[in-house]
Amino acid sequence: MFGYDVQALRKLLSAILQQNNTADAWTWLSKQGDINNVAAFNAAFVMMPRKTGKVVVSITSEQKAQLNTIRPGFNIAGWTAERLGRVFLFIQADAKYQEHYIKTIENLFLAGEMKELVALYSALPVLAYPESWIKRCAEGIRSNIGIVLEAIMYHNPYPSEHLSEDAWNQLVMKAIFTEKDLGQITGLQERNNPELVRILLDHARERGAAGRTVVPELWQLSEPIVGAAAIADLKQQYSLN
Amino acid sequence: MCCSHSFENPPYPSDAKPETFDISAVKGMKFFDPHVHMTSRTTDDYQAMADAGVVALIEPAFWLGQPRTGLDSFRDYYSSLIGWERFRSSQFGIKHYCTIGLNSREANNEALAEQVMELLPLFVYKEGVVGVGEIGFDDQTAAEEKYYRAQLDLAKEAGLPVQVHTPHRDKKRGTQRSMDIAIEQGLDPYSVIIDHNNEETVKEVLDRGFWAAFTIYPFTKMGNQRMVEIVKQYGSERIMINSAADWGISDPLAVPKTAALMQQQGISLQDIELVTYRNAITAFAQSGQIDEADFGVNIDQSAKFAGNSILRGGQQPRIDKSSIIIS
Repeated sequence: MFGYDVQALRKLLSAILQQNNTADAWTWLSKQGDINNVAAFNAAFVMMPRKTGKVVVSITSEQKAQLNTIRPGFNIAGWTAERLGRVFLFIQADAKYQEHYIKTIENLFLAGEMKELVALYSALPVLAYPESWIKRCAEGIRSNIGIVLEAIMYHNPYPSEHLSEDAWNQLVMKAIFTEKDLGQITGLQERNNPELVRILLDHARERGAAGRTVVPELWQLSEPIVGAAAIADLKQQYSLN
Repeated sequence: MCCSHSFENPPYPSDAKPETFDISAVKGMKFFDPHVHMTSRTTDDYQAMADAGVVALIEPAFWLGQPRTGLDSFRDYYSSLIGWERFRSSQFGIKHYCTIGLNSREANNEALAEQVMELLPLFVYKEGVVGVGEIGFDDQTAAEEKYYRAQLDLAKEAGLPVQVHTPHRDKKRGTQRSMDIAIEQGLDPYSVIIDHNNEETVKEVLDRGFWAAFTIYPFTKMGNQRMVEIVKQYGSERIMINSAADWGISDPLAVPKTAALMQQQGISLQDIELVTYRNAITAFAQSGQIDEADFGVNIDQSAKFAGNSILRGGQQPRIDKSSIIIS
């Protein structure tokens, strides 16, 4: 139901969280995550920063590699303690009762504070029933809160693995419109497609007509599909960079 | 729900030409506006507040000008206070906190109020929620009293300060009742901020150990010249001022403007700092949710630089408003 070795991830994240928290905080955290007690589960999720603090978690390069082995693409570099603690709750949760598991987590999205939303979207690649979160992920891309978008876009393997082509293209365009660093989007090259390039080049023409510039990644994605000559023509026609 | 004024016959000030607000008078000062409804304001207001030195604010949950008809409207509103509005504010370098509560007007819809009461615990424990508010009396009905008491209990349980709205009609009596009930429910007056005071209510509020907040709001509440007189008379202990700016004719710069007026009229800088900054922090930091280190700096650099959805489209953060050209 997880699509990866969840026991191994529990063990590794436990070790990382134990290293990065006070003894008291870890004692508390290690007992949380019983999703069948919804009130306690929600309370732990909400009060996480009060327990763990908000400092950036430090991990060894070995742990980073281990994470990537257990769940390819899953990367917690730069995460704060409360973000990792919240994601840990979902990994600890008993996912046996599918409907209950999904409903409980979905409800957290509906009343999410900014940083809670960051943690929730960060958790997508490690949640059980991965197919169940596709619409939620697409909905997240409609957010205008920068850090929420980054939680979905940056170093998150879930979107490129699960989004439809339309939703993926929307993610890329949203990243461009909100001035995100495209280089941090997992799967940018792998999910490149002719329809995306059509949209990108239309966008380039619009920008050119308005006397504005475009990001260099736009050309890098377009060239393999339409060829260097077409790009050069377009750049010249619209006096683009 | 800070205002219920009428828009008919706006009483324009009778004096000829008022003095212009010179922002340089408060240059270098920091302000905390502990009551302002930013949801109802534009980005121009955020910009102007940041320019005038407002580094942090509290947005109390209130009435939106017309009644909500369902629970989801409340949930979405509370979510916006801890989500989108918090982000919008951060883009102007202003730290946004909020208080969460069921306002007195809508407490009168008891069927809905019951559901809202069940929803509140989900929000009051969230990060950056610094109190239960704004709650209290409007019409002073039995239903308002019931939910005021219930929310005082919630605040006590959650260890949060309370931001109390006092009524426009029968104000003095309503303010006294609000304090009586807070004490009956076992709250420490030091954790209760009584809002929208005036010359007639302030003495008793201070004497009984509560915090006295004053709303500088044109036409219907305090004017800032009157506020200067109050500080001259009562000093600065447990007194704070706010703008309560909302969708009515109000002024989001009320706090810095009042500081400038106080300075001009000889109030000490120390007293000005207490009533326009420090006291509000002391009162609401009892929630454990205010860290001054968060003010003025954007902890999430990503939110400031890369996550810029308001400043989207590669525009410069500033536009030249005097120019006819919009590019």
